Amino acid sequence: MSYLLAHPAHVIVLAAAHLALVAVALACAFAIALPTGLALARREGLSRVVLALLGALYTIPSLALLALLVEALGLGPVPIFVALVAYAQFVLVRNVLAGVRGVDPAQRDAAIGMGMSAAQRIVRVELPQAFPVILGGVRVAAVTMIALATLGGYVGAGGLGSLIFMGFTLHHNDEILAGSIAVCTLAIAVDASLRLLERLSRAH
Amino acid sequence: MSGASIRFAGVSAHYNGAAASGIDDVDLDVQPGEFIALVGPSGSGKSTLLRTVNRMVRIDRGRIELDGVDTATLDPVIMRRGIGYAIQAVGLFAHMDVAQNIAIVPSLLGWDRARINARVDEMLELVRLDPDRYRHRHPSELSGGEAQRIGVARALAAQPRTLLMDEPFGALDAIVRRTLQRELHEIVQRLGTTTLFVTHDVKEAQRLADRIVVLRAGRIEQAATPADVLARPQSDFVRELFSDE
Amino acid sequence: MTTRARAIAGMTSFCVLPACGARGTIPVGSKNFTESIVIAEIYAQALERAGLRVERRLNLGSTQITMAAMAREQIEIYPEYTGTALISVLHHAPITDPQACYTFVRDAFAREYGIVWLDRSPMNNSQGLATTRAIAARYHLRTLSDLAPVASRLRLATIPEFITRPDGLPGLQRVYGGFHFESVRTYDISLKYEALLQGGADIATAFTTDGAIASNHLVVLDDDKHLWPAYNVAPLVTKAALAREPRIAGTLNAVSPLITTSAARTMNDQVEAHDRDPADVAAVFLKSVV
Repeated sequence: MSYLLAHPAHVIVLAAAHLALVAVALACAFAIALPTGLALARREGLSRVVLALLGALYTIPSLALLALLVEALGLGPVPIFVALVAYAQFVLVRNVLAGVRGVDPAQRDAAIGMGMSAAQRIVRVELPQAFPVILGGVRVAAVTMIALATLGGYVGAGGLGSLIFMGFTLHHNDEILAGSIAVCTLAIAVDASLRLLERLSRAH
Repeated sequence: MSGASIRFAGVSAHYNGAAASGIDDVDLDVQPGEFIALVGPSGSGKSTLLRTVNRMVRIDRGRIELDGVDTATLDPVIMRRGIGYAIQAVGLFAHMDVAQNIAIVPSLLGWDRARINARVDEMLELVRLDPDRYRHRHPSELSGGEAQRIGVARALAAQPRTLLMDEPFGALDAIVRRTLQRELHEIVQRLGTTTLFVTHDVKEAQRLADRIVVLRAGRIEQAATPADVLARPQSDFVRELFSDE
Repeated sequence: MTTRARAIAGMTSFCVLPACGARGTIPVGSKNFTESIVIAEIYAQALERAGLRVERRLNLGSTQITMAAMAREQIEIYPEYTGTALISVLHHAPITDPQACYTFVRDAFAREYGIVWLDRSPMNNSQGLATTRAIAARYHLRTLSDLAPVASRLRLATIPEFITRPDGLPGLQRVYGGFHFESVRTYDISLKYEALLQGGADIATAFTTDGAIASNHLVVLDDDKHLWPAYNVAPLVTKAALAREPRIAGTLNAVSPLITTSAARTMNDQVEAHDRDPADVAAVFLKSVV
C-alpha cells in the first residue's frame, strides 16, 4: 500500500496511459467487429465458421501471441495493441450478432416494407434496439482488455503493467500491489459505468 | 388522391422456396381505388401474393404492373415508400414513440418538420386517437387495438396510392375489430386508396371488399364481388368456404 | 518530479518508430533484472548531467530482446556483459581473460552489428562460491585452490543446474581437482543463501554481485585458475547514436570504469533488500564518484 500512498501521481499517469491504450484499441476493435457482425447477421453458416475462428483466436495464450507479435512488430504499444484488437473480436462480434438477430422480426419486416434502405434499417431500427446487447459485449471486452493490457508492461508498452513487471524484477512487492490494485480499480470502474449505461439504454 | 391500378400477369412466386405457400400463374386486374380481400385457407398463398406487390417476395415468373409500370423496373426502396404496408404483428418500432413511428415514411421522403408534425396529428385523428394523448406514447404503452390503429396510421401517413394489409385486425376481439373494419373502410374509400387486404375471416371479407379473391394452393379459384361469390360460386371449395357462415 | 517519476513517465510514452531518438532524446534500455536497470540508470543520469536528453526504456527482457531493440533502434544504449555477449550472442567458447574477452566481443560487434562497446567496468558478475567470514577464517579460504582439497569436510548449497552444467561443479573438479563436497544440496535460487546463513551449509554458489553478499558480509573466493569467464559490464551504443551525439562516448567512459564489484553489490542490495528506487540508488552512486 505504501507505494500507492507515496506516489499517487505516478500511478494515475500510468493508469491514464493504460486506459488510453485500451480505449483506442476498443474503438478500433469495435470498428472492425460492428460491420463484421452486421455482414454476418443473415448468413447463418458463415457466421458459425467465423465465430469458431474468432473463438480459437481467443484461446491462444496471450503471452504466446504477444511474443509472436513482438517478433514481427518490435517492442512498444503496437504489438499489445494488435493483440487487444484481436482478442476483443470474439466477444464483440458475437454480441453484435446476438443483438441484431434479437431484433423483433416484425419490426424488421415493417422497416423493409415501408421503404427503408438497408443502411437506414440498420441505423434507425436494428442498431438502436440491438444497442443494450452490443453494449454488454463492449463492456466485457473493455474489462478483458484492461486486464490483458497489463502484459504490455512486459514488452515496453507502458501503462500499469510496467509498474507490475518492474515490481517483479526489483523484488518490490509494493509496486506489484500498487499496479494490481490500480488495474482492478480501473476494471471495476469501467464495468460499473458501462453497466449503468446498459441499464439506462434498456429503459425503453 | 386516387389509387393505383395493379395488374398481375402470370405471376408465380415461391416463398422461401416452400412451394406450399407459393403462388402459381396468378392473373388479376385491380382497378384504382378497389378494395380487394384475399381469402383462403392457410398456406393458400394469400400473404405471398400480397407481398409480391411491394417486392418483399421475389417473383419467379410473370410480371406485376403498378399503374402500368412493371415493378421489376423500379427501385424497390423508393417504390415501397409509395405503398402503405401494415402487417398483423404491426411491428411498431419499440424504441420510437407513436409520432416518430407515424412519421417514418414522410421523413424518408424528406418532408419538412412542420409538414410531418401536422401529418402525424392528422393521421392520429383519422384513426380516432387524440393526438395530445398519444403522440408521445411508446408502443409498450398501447393496447392491441391502439397499436393496430397506429399501424394503419403509419401505413397511410405518406398518402400512398396503394395499401397492403396482412390480417391487420387478426389479434383483436370482435368488438374492436368491427369498429376498426368500419373505420378502415371509410378511410380508404374517402382517400380512394387501392387496397389489398389479406384475411382468413370470410365475413370480414364480405363486409369490406369490393371484390373477393379466393386462393387455394397458390391459385385463384375465383375473383368476384361478395354477392357473386355467394350466389355463383365457381367451385365446391368456394361454396363451402362461404356457406359455413 | 522525482527521477523515479520521470523514469516511469518515460516508459509510458514508448515510441515505436525506429529513429525516435532523432527527436533529440536518446533511448536507453536495460534487461529485466535489477543490476541491469541500476546500471542503465547510471548511464542515463550521467548523460543527463552532461546536458543530453534521455528516454528510459527499462526492464525490456532478455539479451535477445535488447539486441533486437538495438537493431530496430528502439533503444540506442544499454549495458551488456562481455561473457554474455561472447557466449549467448556470438555463440563462442568462453574466453577467461577479461581483456581478451572484451576485445574479442568489441571487434565482433562493431563488425557484425554496427554496435560500439565503450570502456568496460571492472565489476565482474560471474559465477562464484561464497562463504561466511567465520568459515573462511577457520579453513583459511581465500581462493578456490584453497577450497579444493578441504571441500570433503564442507557442505555445498547450490541450484540444480550447477551440478550438471559443464562450468558448474564438473568444471571446478576438472580445473582445480578435488571439490568433492561432503554433501551437495540443491535449493531454489532465492533460498540458497538462507542455507548458508542458517548453518545448514558451509559454501553456497553465487553470482558475484548479488546484493545478499554485501548485506550479509559474505566472502567470495577468488577464481585463481580462471575457470569462469569474466562478465564485465560496458555500455553498448549504436554507431548512429555516437555519430549523432559524440558526447556519449566521453560521458559514459568517465563513469563506466568506476563501477566496481562491491559498488554493484551494494546497489543491488539497496534496491532488492531495502526497497530503494534504482534511480535514487544510481543518483547516490554518481554523486559519490563524480
